[in-house]
Amino acid sequence: MTRFTDNASSFTIAGRPVHFSLRQFAKENFLSSLWLALWMVLLLYLTAVVARNQLQTAPLWTAVILVGWLASVGLTAFNQITRQHTAATAWLRGNLYSSLSNALVTLLLLLLLVAAVRGFFNWAFVYASFTTDATLARETLRQQEQAGANWGAVRANLRNLLVFRWPRDQDWRLWLIVAWNVLLIIPSQFVYRREAFRKSLLRRGLTFLWLLTPIFVFFLVRGAGGSDSFLRQLNPDQAWGGLLLSLIIAIFAIVASFPLGVLLALGRRSQIRGVPARPTYIVAGSLTLYFLIANTFPSLSAVQTISARILSFWPLLIILFAFLFQRYFTGNVVALFSTVYIETVRGVPFITVLFMSIILFPILLPPGTEILSTWRVMVAAALFSAAYLAENVRGGLQSLNQGQYEAADAIGLNTFQKYRLIVLPQALRAVIPAIVGQFIALFKDTSLIAIVGLLEFLAVANLISAQPDWLGVRREPYVFIALVYFVGSAAMAGYSRRLEARLGVGQR
Amino acid sequence: MANIPSNISKKGDAIPFWRDGRVLGVIAQIVFLVLVILATAWLANNVVTNMDRLGAFRCADGSSRFVCGFNFLRIDAQFDIGETTLIRYEPSDSFGRAMLAGGLNTIRVGFFGIILATILGTVTGIARLSENWLINNIAKWYVDLIRNTPLLLQLFFIYFGVLLLLPSIREAIQPFGLPIFISQRGIDVVAPVFMISGRIWFMALLLGLVTAVVVGWAFRQWQIERGVGGSPALLALAVLAVIATAGWFVAQAGSDDNQALLTQSELGVTHLDDIAGVVARRLGVPELSGVAGAVADGRLIQEQVDEAALSVCALVRDPAEVNVSAELRQRNIPHTFQRFTRTNLAVDAFNAGSCDAFVGDRESLTAITAAGSLIAVPERPVRLSFPSIQGLNFVGGYKLTPNFAAILLGLVIYTGAFIAEIVRAGIQSVPKGQSEAARALGLSESQRLQLVVLPQALRVIIPPLTSQYLNLVKNSSLSIAVGYPDLWVTSFITLNQSGQSVQVFVMVMSIYLSFSLSISALLNWYNRRIALVER
Repeated sequence: MTRFTDNASSFTIAGRPVHFSLRQFAKENFLSSLWLALWMVLLLYLTAVVARNQLQTAPLWTAVILVGWLASVGLTAFNQITRQHTAATAWLRGNLYSSLSNALVTLLLLLLLVAAVRGFFNWAFVYASFTTDATLARETLRQQEQAGANWGAVRANLRNLLVFRWPRDQDWRLWLIVAWNVLLIIPSQFVYRREAFRKSLLRRGLTFLWLLTPIFVFFLVRGAGGSDSFLRQLNPDQAWGGLLLSLIIAIFAIVASFPLGVLLALGRRSQIRGVPARPTYIVAGSLTLYFLIANTFPSLSAVQTISARILSFWPLLIILFAFLFQRYFTGNVVALFSTVYIETVRGVPFITVLFMSIILFPILLPPGTEILSTWRVMVAAALFSAAYLAENVRGGLQSLNQGQYEAADAIGLNTFQKYRLIVLPQALRAVIPAIVGQFIALFKDTSLIAIVGLLEFLAVANLISAQPDWLGVRREPYVFIALVYFVGSAAMAGYSRRLEARLGVGQR
Repeated sequence: MANIPSNISKKGDAIPFWRDGRVLGVIAQIVFLVLVILATAWLANNVVTNMDRLGAFRCADGSSRFVCGFNFLRIDAQFDIGETTLIRYEPSDSFGRAMLAGGLNTIRVGFFGIILATILGTVTGIARLSENWLINNIAKWYVDLIRNTPLLLQLFFIYFGVLLLLPSIREAIQPFGLPIFISQRGIDVVAPVFMISGRIWFMALLLGLVTAVVVGWAFRQWQIERGVGGSPALLALAVLAVIATAGWFVAQAGSDDNQALLTQSELGVTHLDDIAGVVARRLGVPELSGVAGAVADGRLIQEQVDEAALSVCALVRDPAEVNVSAELRQRNIPHTFQRFTRTNLAVDAFNAGSCDAFVGDRESLTAITAAGSLIAVPERPVRLSFPSIQGLNFVGGYKLTPNFAAILLGLVIYTGAFIAEIVRAGIQSVPKGQSEAARALGLSESQRLQLVVLPQALRVIIPPLTSQYLNLVKNSSLSIAVGYPDLWVTSFITLNQSGQSVQVFVMVMSIYLSFSLSISALLNWYNRRIALVER
């Protein structure tokens, strides 16, 4: 056996034989291709520029980084050429210093990262003001040598950010909701995980309470009685706001969209016998003729421009639709309706749907009907969410083996039983992670209702910057909101991953 | 065996019709159809009642018809749009044109957004797989942070928290001394301006591109046939360079009569070079080349120079201005511009003597007046236009408004994070054995990526990438938060001013739907093209 050795060990350092060939090193790190050489020159130049720059702005930190980098690179290189790695240098060589280019990239990124983190840290803590007294905060910030954060704006407005105009004397309702959920979550951790509880009364009771939660929560946030009762009815347009409103809309949308989404998914996949082609064409043809004669020809003389004339031939579209209907849906009205609904909603931006709910709802309803903006936005969010949920559920339905349907038919279940007992439990379990993902997306998307004028989380941040005390303070509330969204979304994503593992999705 | 009833196939025991799936299906369909039609009719009736009350579908003759509901598109819009793409727009234009301008703005954001987000996403996705721990983790944090916060928040932060807090115009940041100015008012960059002859050069460029592709392809075929080496790309580049250079000179050769400078007769100039003498006399210096130095030493005051400078009238955004400015700069002639939106205003100013010269294309200048003397201005097909401060704004160059910069940056950063995860998953989906096999065959690293890994990864990447592109275009409607006049913003203003809400919503939704459908059609076609050919 010939052993591939890059070079012979010709000399030793500190009693260790050294395996190093300059030629090999140069070839691997600079000369193997023109691009590599160019890249190394560029990298060296960039690193030098950044290092010089940083040495001027933050000498101590940069010096520490440079010395630490040099020492660790030196040690790793020494251990590498003497072929005796410790655990630490082996990790360094594998993950940070695997080549000269990588070592330089590490240094460059380290310098930039430390500069960025230091900048943020200085802004957020060192030169920041934390007092809720606006004049004192202004004074403190003026004396600092650099711009700092004005956290007082967030602290003073914490209640506004979280619940906005929720009446103070009704706070107990919110605390009750929190307590209720905590009380349900704790036993759920045990009951739903143990096989022993599968058929127990405890589990059924808990499920019942969970199903009751939305109604219970609704009565608490909305209220029921008259204006002087202890559970007085609140006007959502005024009492709901801040994070509370975002959460209400997101949770309502996902819960309310569930039945509609499942129905749409089933509808899109439905295979019931469609309307036959001949009657379709007969009806479509006669309708077209009727509208052509009754509508198009009179209006041809009334309008002048060419585009309006072309528009007045719209009855021809009926025939086109009839053809498409037969061609792509084989006459299945349910599938047609579901598909058109899903694809239309998914094809337009959420913001247009929201504006539609604000502007178009009054036009779609009988004259004189008044509905609060909050309700309108909630309905719009649910209808919007249903289309996306339908696609997720459809994915779950498609993941199911055809044999499951056949087996259900074989044991004599009717259609309803087949879906309730066999298909949906399996399909929905497969898409729980996707639904959690959709909930996260929806939770983030509720920020868009700030644009249609409802005062949710993000809108309150914009209001803060208009307060005389905190004029122009924008970054601080934004950072706070980002933090809340980040923690919330990351926690839900983590929960989804654990759930996925527990349910064994993708393992059967 | 004997228990099996013998009459199983008799007609009387067939499934009754109320349990027959086919019959039930048809009945269900009819019920569904009736319900849908009833609901639609109810909604439509409400819409018609409400719209009639508002007079939304009224025709010129007083009757009400749906087609007439779109007549408002020809009414003057009366509102201004901050910036437009490809077309000009004035408040006196119609609502229809306003919506068209908005649609083109959306296409601009979508086009550049998709390209930049793809680049950012691919780089980050590869960085997520880097063996360097630091790169890997920075990419991970970027992706996590961006994916878990709302886009609107990021847009607000970029627009209000970063772009609007940049220094004012006078203290604009100039990175590395390049002609790029970053300030509160946006990002001003140097930009090429096409002259009249530029069109000819542009044609030559296109011709060169086509020829280069054809030549490169033919060369490649010839190479394969003969088994010889050489780089087709290099040959194609050379062909392109030759044709582009030739086109440049051809375009320039026929361009001498394109532009002209109309000068006041009392200046007595007949050639561009004579102007230097006139300005030098006004300043009282023998040579104009020393003026800049004299101002720096304090021997001359800037105001003096401005006073004596050649004042030129021009039309706003006329490429001729850039050309003549470059020619005057070449001759060290100090000059100032007065810009007019309409030709007649400029002509009046010239006749009143408020400027020394009027620049434009020769034909229109000869048509205007014979009051001055026309001198020719040599034209180059393309000139660079540099941004310069005038009054409270930058003039010249290409301006990225803070609104556009905010929506573009926000969308690119947001979508890039999602694309990064898609790219990472795509590359990880290629089995390790494929890379090992490629190395065993002796392919280089770039060949391994190009020929083995990417083609297989792309099949996994393209479908989710399509939906990210669709998301980007849909999310561009958030421009309303940062004041960029996209399709939704212009439609919304149209809706508010005309009151025609139903029609505007129908139009906006169909336009967004058609954007979505065309992007997915394009990418589905591409996906089919690269899909695995199965037997």
